[in-house]
Amino acid sequence: MGIIMTFIVYGVLVIYLAAGVLYLAGNRTGREAVHKYALIAAAAGCVLHFAVLSMRTALTGMLPLTNGLDFLLTFSWITVVTFLLLSHRFRIKAAGGIVMLMSASMVLVLIILMKGRLDAVSPLMPALKSPWLTTHVITAAISYATFTLAAGLAIMQFFPAGRAIKDDYVNLLVRGAFALLSLSIVIGAIWAEQAWGRYWSWDPKETWALITWLIYAIYLHLYNRRGWSGSYARWIVIGGFLLVLFTFFGVNYLLPGLHSYV
Amino acid sequence: MQAMHRIFNFISSMKTGLVLLLLIGLAAAAGSSFLPRTFYQIPAFKLLLLLLLLNMSLCTVKRFRQTSRILLSKTGSRVWFRNLGSLLLHLGILLVLIGGIIYSIHGQQERIHLLPGQQVDISRVLNIENPFTLRLEEFRIEFNEDGSTSQYISEVTILEQGKKTGQAAISVNHPLNYQGVKAYQTSFGYRVHAEYTENGEKKSSGFLEGAWLNPDGTDRRVKIYKYIPDFDPERGMNSVTLRPDNPQVIFSVYEDDNVLGIGAAKFNDPVRIDENVYVSFTGVESYTILDVKYDPGLPLALAGGMLLALGICLVVLAAPSPKNLRELKPQP
Ligand code: HEM
Repeated sequence: MGIIMTFIVYGVLVIYLAAGVLYLAGNRTGREAVHKYALIAAAAGCVLHFAVLSMRTALTGMLPLTNGLDFLLTFSWITVVTFLLLSHRFRIKAAGGIVMLMSASMVLVLIILMKGRLDAVSPLMPALKSPWLTTHVITAAISYATFTLAAGLAIMQFFPAGRAIKDDYVNLLVRGAFALLSLSIVIGAIWAEQAWGRYWSWDPKETWALITWLIYAIYLHLYNRRGWSGSYARWIVIGGFLLVLFTFFGVNYLLPGLHSYV
Repeated sequence: MQAMHRIFNFISSMKTGLVLLLLIGLAAAAGSSFLPRTFYQIPAFKLLLLLLLLNMSLCTVKRFRQTSRILLSKTGSRVWFRNLGSLLLHLGILLVLIGGIIYSIHGQQERIHLLPGQQVDISRVLNIENPFTLRLEEFRIEFNEDGSTSQYISEVTILEQGKKTGQAAISVNHPLNYQGVKAYQTSFGYRVHAEYTENGEKKSSGFLEGAWLNPDGTDRRVKIYKYIPDFDPERGMNSVTLRPDNPQVIFSVYEDDNVLGIGAAKFNDPVRIDENVYVSFTGVESYTILDVKYDPGLPLALAGGMLLALGICLVVLAAPSPKNLRELKPQP
């Protein structure tokens, strides 16, 4: 099982990279057909990615949400799925290259950190045995994925090919992601009160989730002011995404606390 | 008068609020990197949170007239939902902050250790109105097949004036909630039983990890270092799991202040400490560690959290305004 899964994950990585390159090529040549191939590749990668998620679920008997690596696997998949769904409705295809490369990097990091342990199974530790687990982590995963997309679009806005990407698209994504992050933090706090006896203990994960939340809150308050949409707003969205990454990787690997289940 | 007005406007302005958010973010970041734990107790940091509370309260009050006009008129529109959501969201944050302040003024949290059969009068631990007693009937650790821990469970009886009024199983994620006092399964520890002779008496009693024995017939002293439920020489002090698959006691023998040696002993294997001096470890008992807490601010904080969550959902679902939505339609 482990070998098959590792093989598929490498496949996903290669396909995402290919899709990313095709999207970029589509931007360059301006040919719709190239974007269509990119879309097909991304969708194929997404299906394989889903196969890995299903295999993890079958192996552990739980949704792949209970540790940092499963979280990464899920959240990179949601990033791609959401992008594909949205690019169907909104004019954001130009960001496909960046978004696919971002997702590919997450899969790459997963491969490096997993060291071939894709079939590792360990039972839930007592603190994680709670009905809050699924809602807390799913909201966080969708939120992170949406912040990733928003950052991808914001980066693309700096390039001529991204002209069709409106500030309002980015803003809409940030709003959604912000709401989900808020839900995840509130649920996390309710859970922490039951599991650890305190709803807020300035554990590193709590602290950095709050910092991330604060920065996006500032962005949302400034957005409607004159002069703030445009380049300032883009930079905050990109900076906020770096905070998301730090909340995830930095806290899991550099600042261990109650929340380290890597 | 005008100066007062200016000060009020400054304190309640959104700009001030945003600067406060930024400062809190920066301070929290610095704190988590350089001074974890203690940082958030620093008065200057608490002051920032208080200022935010003040700013948000004033800001909400200031906008109340406008918001209420909208809420009284355009029922059901996007704008209406957005304003309602925003109001709930900000009220929610205020409640959470107030709940936190109430905890920091009136809240109490203490840690208790209980061996099976022991009891504790909670009113001696916390300053509460209705005293009651917790008695530990049993503490057990349950395991998964691979030996990892599945749950820690303290079976307790609750007594009031000597009469049993309830019983509960406190485990991780399932705290006891009795008359506003909550008790959480936080940790556990071991008490090792040893048999030896001291002052001419044959002794058999329990010792906490780290305790010293002074057996007769020698100057040497024995320190009970640690109980290892599943001992593996390769891992030394780190038990493989908590399941007692190979229980051993790690001890060290001292002469004056010098360590003569460190050993691991199975239960009931007499350990030779000196000529004709033996100690044997006969068993182990685990005790539970519970955190007991009284937080009168908790209901407020919880209500705040729910309002916050509800409010933010409304705000997002009601956004964007119809004008923006049209712009978001794919262009041909
Ligand atoms: C105020 C309390 C909490 C906050 C603010 C919080 C925040 C977060 C955030 C932002 C994530 C997203 C993924 C990441 O960055 O790692 C996350 C994931 C997670 N949280 Fe929490 N959380 C809280 C409480 C809890 C509690 C009480 C538990 C369990 C006892 C828990 C277990 C998890 C797990 C298992 C994950 C997914 C895996 C991982 O990334 O480590 N969280 N949490």
